[in-house]
Amino acid sequence: MVNKSPLNQIHKKLGAKFTEFAGFEMPIYFSSIKDEHLNVRKSVGLFDVSHMSNVWITGKDAEKIISLTTVEDASKIPVGQSQYTEILRKDGTVIDDTIFMHLEKEKFMIIPNAGMNEIVTKWLEKIAKQHKMDVKITDVSKDFVILAIQGPKSRDTLQKLTNTDLGKIGFFACQNIEIANVNCIISHTGYTGELGFELQITPAEKAINVFNSIMEAGKEFNIKPIGLGARDTLRLEKCFILAGNEFEGGRTPLEATLSWTISWEHDFIGKEALLKQKEKGDYERLTKLVCKEKGIPRHGCEVQKNRKKVGIVTSGTLSPCLSKGIAMAYIHPDFRTVGDTLDIIIRDKPIKAEIIKPPFVKKDWAENN
Amino acid sequence: MSKELPDDLKYTETHEWLKIEGENATVGITDHAQESLTDIVFVELPEIGKKVKKGDELCIVESVKSVSEIYAPITGTITKVNKELENIPETINESPYEDGWLVEIKIEDKSEIESLLNAESYKKTIQ
Repeated sequence: MVNKSPLNQIHKKLGAKFTEFAGFEMPIYFSSIKDEHLNVRKSVGLFDVSHMSNVWITGKDAEKIISLTTVEDASKIPVGQSQYTEILRKDGTVIDDTIFMHLEKEKFMIIPNAGMNEIVTKWLEKIAKQHKMDVKITDVSKDFVILAIQGPKSRDTLQKLTNTDLGKIGFFACQNIEIANVNCIISHTGYTGELGFELQITPAEKAINVFNSIMEAGKEFNIKPIGLGARDTLRLEKCFILAGNEFEGGRTPLEATLSWTISWEHDFIGKEALLKQKEKGDYERLTKLVCKEKGIPRHGCEVQKNRKKVGIVTSGTLSPCLSKGIAMAYIHPDFRTVGDTLDIIIRDKPIKAEIIKPPFVKKDWAENN
Repeated sequence: MSKELPDDLKYTETHEWLKIEGENATVGITDHAQESLTDIVFVELPEIGKKVKKGDELCIVESVKSVSEIYAPITGTITKVNKELENIPETINESPYEDGWLVEIKIEDKSEIESLLNAESYKKTIQ
């Protein structure tokens, strides 16, 4: 059985072409992936990401359980702030990456990936029980619509619909807000690398009003609805993780170059395993490659150096901004010097690709293009 | 924006078209095919001189999200390839029946033409 977003009818009216993702029927594009992608980089786009999950963590030990089950020390994240983090297994591999929002005292909301709500909820409940924690874990994914408005004109668009000064909501801050007279949770977050906000809205019927109001307000900025196709190319250009790709088969935050998210000074599940791995140091690391020849790297393509396998591609595409093939790949630590060339094997042909320092597309791209 | 199905072409169920002129067939993909692929960003054309059997992989056409195999609609030898597509692959989206042609094949077995579809029959398969 395939789930539908509460905005499914609106998608249809806007001419969406659909795909199935994590059990949800979602738009892959409306006009075209490239067109939508460039519109977000240059102006503004509106995404329905309701396929993602919403879980409340409330109670006296809410902060404690987040600190224990993620690599972040939640006591460092005050009310009104959110944080990107990973939930680990005991062996240090990632169960899911997520953002958690500290909305009120003893009240957090986490946003697990699409299709991960049951796994994450059950995991947190198990840990809470084991450690006899005073905490409630509530999966409310079905009740929430999630909208993301992203692009240089996203703030100007949204500002037309609220009295709250959006300029005062700092990076990764979160709070309750009224948008188009509807109560929402807003966070200054996003998956595109552009200025933007994400809105958690319940009930679904009200979200339809918000969606339509944003589309109307954004008309002067040439706002477009954006599908999952462009969502993927946008995040990949900025080297953001797609859990299903980059954590496939069991990967640790160290391998995924996410050590910057780890607060080492607190105890968390998976810490021992990570410390052991850190000490050994010989683990593969996520590496960013730009093709120097024509070709599009895809998930699963082997990466070679002098005909020897040195890694594998986890995410690949043709970058709409660069018009070049780009890829993220796990590469053996001896072969990932920035500036070096490796071969990505695409349909049995080696395509030369250069290791670069991330991101693929820099912050000022839109100004210069 | 659908383009009209040209009457003077032959078609396959796998959405290739052929323009048959004497011994030679120019081959491309139909408007229906390019529409479902959306922005074509990469085309991998075969070598000139390559022999293909009907149903063999002829070339690869890639969109941002997918890799699609295009199949040889007829048996023969590749005599020409549309090199333009290496630089401007989206020509296939814009002009699938004219500027977006893929290859030219010297037909080996003319009897294979009989099993190809005409515009009417192809239209029925995509309805």
